[in-house]
Amino acid sequence: MKTKPRVLLVDDEAAITSNLAPFLERSGFTVAVASDGEEALGQIGGFSPDLIVMDVLMPRMDGREVLRRLRKADNWTPVILLTQVGESTERAMALEEGADDYLNKPFDPHELVARVRAVMRRARPGKRPLSSAQRLACGDLVLDRSSRRALLQAREVALTPKAVALLEYLMTHPDELITRERLLDAVWGWDYPAGTRAVDTRIAELRRALGDDPNRPRYIETVPGQGYRFVGAVEAVT
Amino acid sequence: MKWRWLTALVPAALVLLAVLLLRLGSESNPILVIRVDLATAALIVGLGASALIAVTLAVWEWVERVRRRTIRRVQAQAAEDRIRFLRRLDHELKNPLTAIRAGLANVVEAPSEDMRQKALVSVEDQALRLSRLVADLRKLAELGRYTIERSSVDVALLLREALVIAQERPEAQDRRITFSIPQAPWPLPAVYGDWDLLSLAIHNLLDNALKFTRPGDTIELRAFEDGSTVIIEVADTGAGIPDAEMPHVWEELYRGKGARGVAGSGLGLSLVRAVAERHGGQVMLRSRLGEGTVFSLRLPVARVTER
Repeated sequence: MKTKPRVLLVDDEAAITSNLAPFLERSGFTVAVASDGEEALGQIGGFSPDLIVMDVLMPRMDGREVLRRLRKADNWTPVILLTQVGESTERAMALEEGADDYLNKPFDPHELVARVRAVMRRARPGKRPLSSAQRLACGDLVLDRSSRRALLQAREVALTPKAVALLEYLMTHPDELITRERLLDAVWGWDYPAGTRAVDTRIAELRRALGDDPNRPRYIETVPGQGYRFVGAVEAVT
Repeated sequence: MKWRWLTALVPAALVLLAVLLLRLGSESNPILVIRVDLATAALIVGLGASALIAVTLAVWEWVERVRRRTIRRVQAQAAEDRIRFLRRLDHELKNPLTAIRAGLANVVEAPSEDMRQKALVSVEDQALRLSRLVADLRKLAELGRYTIERSSVDVALLLREALVIAQERPEAQDRRITFSIPQAPWPLPAVYGDWDLLSLAIHNLLDNALKFTRPGDTIELRAFEDGSTVIIEVADTGAGIPDAEMPHVWEELYRGKGARGVAGSGLGLSLVRAVAERHGGQVMLRSRLGEGTVFSLRLPVARVTER
């Protein structure tokens, strides 16, 4: 029998950890809880988690600092940040600092479990996650994240900033079914009933710019009634 | 502000003009001789300097007093707004929380599995309602500092899309929704802004119109150009808004008498106003009780270079 994956849950709010920990355990994980960043760093050595779910705003040492220290020590344990800050630049920063994914509070616990599973599936033990790479490539398509530019066959593709952010999210979550609601939450930072159409419009813009045929996609596949999936193989390039 | 300083140059300009006339004109340039003893001269200089300082100080003090009074007034207004906001937030949180606590009590003491399920569903509904409230509050807070992505927005296309979404709503089935935009002599000009935010604003206006009308009512979505402004209007033949409530409907979490018991976060119109202001535009409202309401969103037309 395979051993259960180990998740370290870090949040200073006891109400959250005491409800989320049993939920994660029922979902098939072994869970340890830490109530702030220092405690989390202390536990990582002994518990050796397969994944860390961590709040950002915490007393003593915040989630961002824990993440920085881990990555500096060349520890690439996957991390999902629970942000309370909705600002999209904050979210981009979280990814740049080496978080594998993030989830805005308040969230549906089922969504957290889905993300934990997806990140674990994607994780390559001991290696940097795609989400912390400066440049991502999929065949002829290269996304330079710091200059916010996309290149197709070494030629720059004209994209709006939102379309770049959308492409970035899709490329950092390859082969994962992503709902429109999740894209709205992650890229736009807010959701509204008509927002799912905004996602469709931007996806259409991306496809046009990348010359991607929705019927035979090289990059973005539509999963009818559910969302989108980046189907190309993505790798980090230098 | 700066132009005021030019008035200081008026006496100098007049004197220069006089000098020119005296020098170039045929008039003779008489020589004035003023004789004054030293004591009187000292007295005149001293008193003159004192008068000048006194006048400067008096003006400065007056300006300062006006400034302080304005600051006090703005602060008092801000404090009042804050208290009002907190009171409304308290009210918006109280109801779902009360429902959650009652629901939880029912979960514990439910006599049957069926009743327990019902209680759980209602608890979840209220939790989702609180989530929506928090999401809207965050949206509103973010709008203030969110860098808006600007591009040329085709208003006709934007409105048509919003209309299609509104028509899919169940309430839309028994209301008459009409749509009109000018075609002649030229089509509606573009505005320069964030498509998604503008779409959110129009969605909120249509959503309100659907919520505050009854079956059989008419809702009109229309837009026209007024020189340098595009005016988008959502008009309805709904219940209308009492005069006393009109100035308040844009305030965060405000609910008029007619809006109690209608689902919503109480932030929809505040968001519309925030979106308009971020685009250098304005919002306006006309309403007659029992006849209906017109909400208008005025946005500056894109300059040629922005198209």
